[in-house]
Amino acid sequence: MRIAVTAVGAALALVAVGACGGSGGGASAPATLVVGEFNPFTGPDAAFGPEMVGGCIPAVKLINASGGVLGHHLSCVQEDTRGDPADAVPAAQKMMATESSLVGVLGPSSDEALATVPLLNQGKVPMFVDTGQAAFDHTTDAYFWRITPADDVKGYALALWAHKAGYTRAAAVFGNDAGAQSDVPTLVTAFTRLGGTIVYNKPFALDQSSYRSEIENLLAAHPQVIFTEVDPQTGATLLSELQQLHGLIPVVGTEVTLQAPWLKAVSGAIGAAAMARYFEGMQPYAPPAGPAWQAYNRSLVASGSQVPKPGQWSSDPYSMTYYDGVNVMALAMIAAKSTSPAGFNKDIMKVTEPGPGKTVVTTFATGKAALRAGKQIQYVGAGGPIVFNRWHNSTGAFEAARYEHGNIVLVGSVSAAQIAALSR
Amino acid sequence: MPAIGFGIVTASILAVAGVGFTLQFGVTNILNLAYGDIMTAAAFVAYLTTAAGASVWLALLAGAAFGAVFSVLLNRGIYTPFVRHGTRLFGMIIVTIAVSLIVQNGLLATSGASFFSLQMPRPSSVHVAGMVFTTVQVAIVGIAVAAMLLVHLLLRYTKLGKAMRATATDPELARSCGIATDRVIDLAWAISGALCGLAGVILVMNLTTFTDSTGAQFLIPIVAVAVLGGIGQPYGAMLGALVIGIASELAAAIFSPEYKDVVAFVILVIVLLARPQGILSEIATRKEVAA
Repeated sequence: MRIAVTAVGAALALVAVGACGGSGGGASAPATLVVGEFNPFTGPDAAFGPEMVGGCIPAVKLINASGGVLGHHLSCVQEDTRGDPADAVPAAQKMMATESSLVGVLGPSSDEALATVPLLNQGKVPMFVDTGQAAFDHTTDAYFWRITPADDVKGYALALWAHKAGYTRAAAVFGNDAGAQSDVPTLVTAFTRLGGTIVYNKPFALDQSSYRSEIENLLAAHPQVIFTEVDPQTGATLLSELQQLHGLIPVVGTEVTLQAPWLKAVSGAIGAAAMARYFEGMQPYAPPAGPAWQAYNRSLVASGSQVPKPGQWSSDPYSMTYYDGVNVMALAMIAAKSTSPAGFNKDIMKVTEPGPGKTVVTTFATGKAALRAGKQIQYVGAGGPIVFNRWHNSTGAFEAARYEHGNIVLVGSVSAAQIAALSR
Repeated sequence: MPAIGFGIVTASILAVAGVGFTLQFGVTNILNLAYGDIMTAAAFVAYLTTAAGASVWLALLAGAAFGAVFSVLLNRGIYTPFVRHGTRLFGMIIVTIAVSLIVQNGLLATSGASFFSLQMPRPSSVHVAGMVFTTVQVAIVGIAVAAMLLVHLLLRYTKLGKAMRATATDPELARSCGIATDRVIDLAWAISGALCGLAGVILVMNLTTFTDSTGAQFLIPIVAVAVLGGIGQPYGAMLGALVIGIASELAAAIFSPEYKDVVAFVILVIVLLARPQGILSEIATRKEVAA
């Protein structure tokens, strides 16, 4: 009995010592703070994860080079949701249980947001989501932050761009997944308000071996333009069959169609010349210019050992916003003088909103210096200004782009004011 | 009418894949769920062949040869040792799932989550009976018809075919009748693997673009074709491919693209309710795995 009591006592003592070490007590180095990259890295939306890595790594690299946050370094840790709530929920639970230094996450995406946002919010984990689901337009979840436009806003942007090009008859070819389908209602409403007609609108089953029957029906409706958001495999099969059977017509896609895997798959299928001639995509307006973008891009290009082919994310608006998300969290920690999510979450708004007398900063280093000097700051990121509304959503303008000679070329834009006017 | 024509193209790919799948199952009773991933691996072999400057016809042969060799090695190296250690039907399914994950993640690791296209001449349009096809689609139908004819000739008119049918019906009895069942099983894996490789290449010829998971996404329709036709029945698989291929295209044309899979699988369920053994079948359920 005595031996047992001694053993239990020793075990408790060891646990206590371990706990002290884990909390950064004594002479041990401060714990590295973890930013979770909570997105699909495998499965149909496996392209999302690498895009996130292209934003997180450059941010962490610059933050650590500037001395870190309150003595802590940051690191990005991948959590693969596989794009499926069934995998994402246990992944979120595991991440919150095992990452004791978790200070926030990038994500979730539309694939898993409805299932995991409540969990993360309950766990008091600040999240810079990339879901566009309209269900979060008026969320009251305190730890939810969105600096990319909601899906329903994309519909307005697509309709405005097609209207500007003079199209009046359009086909809506969107995947039957929740993310793609959430674009459709506002697209139909907006295009109709602008005097156009959606002559074909059917959800597409993804990754089929053929879409010939669908193409026959679509063309029978005589559209002048196709609006689309489907995965790369589906886009390649659909457009190559359209090209081979009848010839292409103009295509306007969402930002999904401007991602590297989509461009590679579809241009491989229909040819680079046809891609340049018939295809345009709309994405959140994040011009690759300005001091914030230059800092992002320099760090990105220098991150080649951790980010495969980093140049592909240089003008990717989502990678830019992930980069901004990490910077905002880091600056909020300094503003709150706390690395505890519950402590700094409310300061996220403080370091981004504009205001009289605020110092505009475009990098973590300048923001950190300004905060140390006792100034109030407004962080303007690589993706532009961030202005959260009361539901923690920040939406801006959209840009239209083409894919020419292996590069994304900007060809125009739709302003936030135009979208606001149409959405009233 | 166009939907039926388009359905024949889809059915052609399903038939090649489904016959290979069911032929191997009929002889060995191993439900090889890594089949779709071997299709993808064969597509990568075809991709590398065309990237090296060879024609797509040579790529078809390379894909089929890879499928045959890989399948035989897979059986000899992994499946047979498990069977000899007494792993039964359900255990073997788990083993094939493990192989599927290994192959798929191996391809992902080496290909880097990207998309690939076979390098082949841009197809032109061909008008047949009021329908428009591409030359590639016509070639796919032709390849499938030729492959099915060869399978028919093999099964019906050769000693090997008879030995395979005998092994499929009762391996113990076949062995005691002097049939070298080990060799027959090897050849069944080789023929099935060749059809699997061929199916992988014609699938990506039709899709124009593929990735590490393309074949795996196609596995469920392949299994459906095999089950609908009567598992282990190559002729049933041909018929099942026609039913599912045409039904899915008709569903897309008449209802909505969303119902493509729904209608095909509703038909599968209805047929199985009426004929649980499939359209054409000799029940192989009580057989043990053979390798």
